[in-house]
Amino acid sequence: MRNAMMFARKEAFEIVRTWRIYVLPAIFLLFAITGPFIAKYTPELLTTVGGGQFASLELPEPTAYDAYKGWINNLSQIGLFAIIIIYGGIVSGERRTGSAILVLTKPVSRTAFVVVKVAVQAVYVAVLLVLGTVVTWGVSALVFGNAPAAAIWSSALVWLVLALVYLCALTLLSVVISSAAGAAGAGLGLFVVLAAASLWGPLAEYSPAGLAGTASTLATGGDVERLFWPVTVSVAISIVLVGIAAQTFRRQEI
Amino acid sequence: MSAALEISGLTKIYPSHRALQDVDLVVDEGSVFGFLGPNGAGKTTTLRMITGMARPTRGEVRVLGEDVVRAGNAVRSQLGFLPDVPAFYDWMTAREFMHFAGSLFGLEHRVIRDRTGLLLDTAGLGRVKTRIGGFSRGMKQRLGIAQALINAPRLLLLDEPTSALDPIGRKDVLDMVASLRGRTTIFFSTHILGDVERVCDSVAILDQGRVLTQAPIRELKARYARHKIVVEVTDDAPALAGAIAGRPWALDTAVSGSGSIEVTAVDIGAAQRELPELVVAHGAGLIRLDAGEMGLEDVFVELVGEGKA
Repeated sequence: MRNAMMFARKEAFEIVRTWRIYVLPAIFLLFAITGPFIAKYTPELLTTVGGGQFASLELPEPTAYDAYKGWINNLSQIGLFAIIIIYGGIVSGERRTGSAILVLTKPVSRTAFVVVKVAVQAVYVAVLLVLGTVVTWGVSALVFGNAPAAAIWSSALVWLVLALVYLCALTLLSVVISSAAGAAGAGLGLFVVLAAASLWGPLAEYSPAGLAGTASTLATGGDVERLFWPVTVSVAISIVLVGIAAQTFRRQEI
Repeated sequence: MSAALEISGLTKIYPSHRALQDVDLVVDEGSVFGFLGPNGAGKTTTLRMITGMARPTRGEVRVLGEDVVRAGNAVRSQLGFLPDVPAFYDWMTAREFMHFAGSLFGLEHRVIRDRTGLLLDTAGLGRVKTRIGGFSRGMKQRLGIAQALINAPRLLLLDEPTSALDPIGRKDVLDMVASLRGRTTIFFSTHILGDVERVCDSVAILDQGRVLTQAPIRELKARYARHKIVVEVTDDAPALAGAIAGRPWALDTAVSGSGSIEVTAVDIGAAQRELPELVVAHGAGLIRLDAGEMGLEDVFVELVGEGKA
């Protein structure tokens, strides 16, 4: 257990001391800061750019909910793409460079190697999500004067579950596919499959496929009837994916 | 003396080729054991199975009496391993990596700190503060040995520790290995014969996935006790070589372009008595006559040559 903690410590330091500390935070921060302003000034921008073209369109007065929706939608697209690309080599990267051999020839189990990586990166994504959500919430309060908490935090929590599914799926893909680009490509394939599956009601209601839409609905202050099953199933799928990844990694030759 | 490493019937078959075939080895505790073979002989594959990074198709590997496949962490806590190309985390310093490696063995902070200082000084890296990403190949190799020793292992596995190093880097690494004699068991894979002769007590020669021989180096040389004699004459070396080849003590003769004849002799006394007579009988002038024992290189070439035949 102690050596797993030491490996987790190394993973955390690796985030802080390498490019990982810049890429995801930069993406999250960009969306968090610009989202509320874009939401606020989109109607004016449309009027300015379109001239008389949108004169017949009656655009509603933007609110903080528009900023929240933009934040969650950006995370559900660009944010997930970034996670897919960054974590395509979460396991294979260390195998490719050879650093995994130096770790795994010490008393560190392969299961711990995989689980610790997922756990630390999941915490990192969660921390970034919390920070980004706080920034969006704060900037929304400044821009719109009123920024309800429940909508943004509930939607962020649902998105975190979705991000966890992708992180765990990428971990398994990174164990199975030796190339980081290959695993990322398969991850993008998964994104397309889940996006298509979200169009079919039963799947959207009982699987991760509907989580992006659910998060978006929550962000706008809307009610979501079925939240328990997609979240529970998604968490269960994440655990199963990591379990399969660990088992597969244990059987592999390095 | 108990065995630090016992390998029996080890076979590894990949879909494309057979990497190892019925390898048997015994490495005594406290010895410096050379695992010698040309590139592609199966040395790294063997080490991968000793460390549990790969599974045998057949056979068994026992490290300090424990089956590697079953024992897992219990065995790994007793091992130190340097891969052929050690890959570190470039963003760490040498000291940080040593602390990381020590912590994975569950060592106390004080023990890690003390050993890190000692080992980095021994590796000539005690004062290096830069990150590992800026290290030369030799520095990484020395750090690789230092990190492999952080847990004071009972069995130290070194995979080609001197390959691709410049002469000074090679000397440094061999000096480090030699300084460990008597403190731990060292299993040292290499294709460089000189390194084995310099630091090892015993050797196994591997070729095309098979162990051709295993013995203490002295015994191996005695087993192949033959002598190389170089005779250099002024005239007609081929005719003299033909006459030498006809003598019962001459196992082999080879003539070089410069008038040198290399003779492999099974009876050095008879050769020394008769060679001057033969030179005189052929009316040739003697320029040089050198006699010496067969080195490990000659044994290796002979064995590997037989293996390929």
